[in-house]
Amino acid sequence: MDYFEPKTVSEALSLLAKHGAEAKVIAGGTDVMVDIKYKEEPGCLINIKKIPGLGAIQENGASLRIGTLITIRELETNKLVREKLAVLWEASHQFASLQIRNTATIGGNICRASPSGETLTPLLVLDAKAKIAFSDGEKTEPFASFFQGPGKCSVGSKGLLTEIDVPYPAAGSKSVYLKHAVRGAMDIAMVGVAVLITPDAAKNSLQDVRIGLGAVAPTPLRASKTEALLRGKPLTVALLKEAAAMAASESSPISDQRSSAEYRSWIVEALTRRGLEQTWKAATGKEVA
Amino acid sequence: MSITINTTINGKTVSASAEASTSLLEFLRDTLEFKGTKLCCNTGECGACTVIYNGKPINSCVTLAADANGAEITTIEGLADGDKLHPVQQAFIDTGAVQCGYCTPGYIMSVKALLDRTKKPTQSDIEEAVSGNICRCTGYAKIVDAIQLAAQKL
Repeated sequence: MDYFEPKTVSEALSLLAKHGAEAKVIAGGTDVMVDIKYKEEPGCLINIKKIPGLGAIQENGASLRIGTLITIRELETNKLVREKLAVLWEASHQFASLQIRNTATIGGNICRASPSGETLTPLLVLDAKAKIAFSDGEKTEPFASFFQGPGKCSVGSKGLLTEIDVPYPAAGSKSVYLKHAVRGAMDIAMVGVAVLITPDAAKNSLQDVRIGLGAVAPTPLRASKTEALLRGKPLTVALLKEAAAMAASESSPISDQRSSAEYRSWIVEALTRRGLEQTWKAATGKEVA
Repeated sequence: MSITINTTINGKTVSASAEASTSLLEFLRDTLEFKGTKLCCNTGECGACTVIYNGKPINSCVTLAADANGAEITTIEGLADGDKLHPVQQAFIDTGAVQCGYCTPGYIMSVKALLDRTKKPTQSDIEEAVSGNICRCTGYAKIVDAIQLAAQKL
């Protein structure tokens, strides 16, 4: 196996162009090392950890720019993430174990493109964008179109994710990330649901609703039909029930060793209901009536 | 492809070669003969291979040995002062927090890192600190006792 430690993004891109699909990018290594041991050793490993400038969190107006090499622990302990991007903070806080959070990077979690990737549904509901470097230029892509299937994303074999741009939610918004797993730490989510709502000025109806579903389809996804159903309406008991069932119908889970597809559908329904109830109450000070 | 790794382990500089695909755990155990760090799940899930890397606890089995280059690493062998055990090691003995002992070095490194970052850990600090370590013998209560005792002594 060849091994490289590029010192610049353009050097990394040249290596990717030269070694093509044989090359594997590594940062924290928490997923790649397991693949090397138990699946296949790549022809060439490109360690991007030595590239300066990819490991910062910077406020840029009303958004946060997160470098691809930022570890999950750095996200979890960042004041701005905690204050402004609560849903991403919650997912970071529930991510694997402290040891893994100290090593795993947000860029790695994203490029892994696992349907259950902990940070992915929060990034979807935050309307975040990926900044991807290619040898012929840079591309900015919303996460809404970024994920293409398990392990597949817009970065492909020639690109390098360099930064994640996360706009702050509108004032008055409330969000929650709910993960269903057997063990508190280290467990991969059977279902993960991120909900972000923005009430209208009078706090009577849902001006904006965003629901992200994880581990229940080939990619993490937004429950867009459910969002459309809810938008502009006050959250009533009947609407909540209808929305939760619709979210379950928008998912297409599989059965595996963690749970059956049917069980996952029930959990999507339950967590969507719970997420909407909690955020509604937090944002409006009212119970769902 | 073989690479040269220059690192600092338990305060001593070390230089050795390893295959580029080697994990830090394999490098520590098989190249440098630090056998105190344990190989268990080898997938980053059990915490038996925990070492302190630049002040932070990590799973050495899913870390590239190449990333040890220029880093400071503390293993279980680096804690005792001659024959005098580190207070965390002594606390595990005094509370009976060791049964088969295989997970113990990993626990002790997680706890050492915890007490390095906070002198008075809360119950939730303790739970967070060792949530990535699995023990199949003790039932965890005595491990928590050991952590509380070590915190008092330090």
